[in-house]
Amino acid sequence: MSSIPLTHILFVSTALFFIGVYGLFTRRNLITMLMAIELMLNSVNINFVAFNKYLYPHTLNGVFFSLFIITVAAAEAAVAIAIIINLYRNHRSIDVEDAQEMKY
Amino acid sequence: MGPVALLVLTIAAILFSAGGILVSKFLVRGSVNAQKGQPYECGIPSEGSPWNQFNVGYYLFALLFLIFDVELIFVYPWAVVVKKVGIMALVEIAIFFFILFTGFLYAHKKGALKWM
Amino acid sequence: MLSDFFILMKQELVIMVIIFVLLLLKIGADMSNEKMMNLANGLLLLNLAAGFTGNQPGVLFNEMYVTNPLIVLEKNILNLGTLIISLQSFSWLKKHDHVPEFYVLLLCTLLGMFFMISSGNLILFYIGLELSSIPLATMANFDLAAKRSSEAAMKFIMSSAFASGLLLFGISLLYGATGTLTFSEMTALITGSPLHIFAFVLLLAGFAFKISVVPFHLWTADVYEGAPVAVTSWLSVVSKGSVLFVFVSVLYTVFKPIAGNWYNMLFLLSVVTILIGNLFAIRQNNIKRFLAFSSIAQIGFILVGITGSSQVSSASVVYFVLIYVFSNLAAFGVVALVSAVTGREQVSDYKGFYKTNPVLSWVLTIALFSLAGVPPTAGFFGKFFLLMAGAGKGNYIPITIAALNMILSFYYYLRIVKAVFMDANEQPIERLTIPAYSKLAMFICVAGILITGLAGFVYDYIYALSFGF
Repeated sequence: MSSIPLTHILFVSTALFFIGVYGLFTRRNLITMLMAIELMLNSVNINFVAFNKYLYPHTLNGVFFSLFIITVAAAEAAVAIAIIINLYRNHRSIDVEDAQEMKY
Repeated sequence: MGPVALLVLTIAAILFSAGGILVSKFLVRGSVNAQKGQPYECGIPSEGSPWNQFNVGYYLFALLFLIFDVELIFVYPWAVVVKKVGIMALVEIAIFFFILFTGFLYAHKKGALKWM
Repeated sequence: MLSDFFILMKQELVIMVIIFVLLLLKIGADMSNEKMMNLANGLLLLNLAAGFTGNQPGVLFNEMYVTNPLIVLEKNILNLGTLIISLQSFSWLKKHDHVPEFYVLLLCTLLGMFFMISSGNLILFYIGLELSSIPLATMANFDLAAKRSSEAAMKFIMSSAFASGLLLFGISLLYGATGTLTFSEMTALITGSPLHIFAFVLLLAGFAFKISVVPFHLWTADVYEGAPVAVTSWLSVVSKGSVLFVFVSVLYTVFKPIAGNWYNMLFLLSVVTILIGNLFAIRQNNIKRFLAFSSIAQIGFILVGITGSSQVSSASVVYFVLIYVFSNLAAFGVVALVSAVTGREQVSDYKGFYKTNPVLSWVLTIALFSLAGVPPTAGFFGKFFLLMAGAGKGNYIPITIAALNMILSFYYYLRIVKAVFMDANEQPIERLTIPAYSKLAMFICVAGILITGLAGFVYDYIYALSFGF
């Protein structure tokens, strides 16, 4: 089996990261924005695992970092969803355009 | 081996699935009625639209499940090395579960686990 | 081995114990709000006192956790800020339903900051950063029924998640380029190749979000305005201070080899930050928004100091954060009290404030003078050392711009002072009775403002602990 070169994987992860950034900037639904952030974090996971496997196979640093990213992202998503629910209770909407109490 | 095998496999897969559909089309004598369109053909009749809203309280269960589910990811690497590290590993995982359990107790105290 | 663990991680362990005591009390016992707050304040005082004794330098867990006298000092500064904020929030928090939760979340963020400050490894750094920002979002939402509060929390969690995404991408590239996550090993491997620079830019963006440097400052004003005052003061002083400490140590140790590159970036960012912060502060009508933009301008001054990259600059950053704790918390203490009792937060509400509340007016005035940098107060010395550190590199353009901006900032700080002392108002804020805790906090702050600048040994002590290159 001829192996997939590292650059291909890096291409996928970079594309995923910027798709996430694009989604965060263009979408106006908070849940969708949260999904875009998850995309960004997952692209970082791909990066870590790929670097670890291809370049530094003798250590486990990258794999462990991605473990921590997964758990922290779950905690972050939980808190963000709780905040969004509370926002919905107050504003009756989860569209960011409707949350405009404060402007300068 | 190689591309030829892949081609043969693809053709075989298409023939197998398409053949099944075609044969059943010729053999089965169809009957059409209103009952057939329902999601559960046998059992209690379904009511209402599936797009009704859930109580927001159910999200609490989902969130709690999410946290406790994902935190268990740390137990897998622990399980691999527990024999090598020995008693310290046991103490550390006990501290870890104590922290999680305190959070669980807090959720229980707040009534987040009561089924509504 | 085990005793090392207890001695070196003492400050974190104390915080952890306090968190569990409060959480278990919440679960097990029904205490009244006042009792709970008295207990929490006592524990925080003990924590502050415990931070000063029996500290040793050392490393733990393969250099994952590092501590030295400077780090201990930084943690003590954060402890002091926590205690003052806890004292000030008394009049707001006693009407709230969730007192223990507030303290648990507050201390969780403090714990995250401690781990972040003494991290010697990117994993611990990341965990600390997230631990210090995720509970903060829930704290911003602490006025549960207020529209603004939930909006502020949403903006905060979204922007901090985005910032940590950027930061993580930078870290992953750095890991790919060097193959290590330990700070001390990484320094030797950074050569300044384009990949290293790109990773650094992403890291810088992540940091800049957390300390609200200008192109990434857009969340700051909204979050400050919407969040409860106690949380706002926490965000603007303790949270920012901790990230600044880490920022300095990461810049000066890990990214030392590419100092020439980040010098230019920081120089540009600092000038833009000071200008935008000052210009937007002039037009604000809400006092919390006003303080938000003034804090952005202060961050710009700190960046000027950081560009110096000498021992003076790292000392002056720590010194300025110490002074900033006193002066900003004094201002927020007055705002917190007024907001908790009357609910008024506009600048125009403060007209004629002196007639009804002379003591509070003087506290506010001294705090604003210190923020502006008027000579006898500590703020002047803080800014003076920062600019001096920045001037050490011989690049006088940012120093000149910063000095000119100090004059600009006098205008808007004195505008508040004028409203307080001179303007007439038909409905001034009524005479407020100051709770004992708030009195104590304000006394500490004012004493700090007046003494820290004049007592030279404070700066000398910090200078002796600092490092540069």
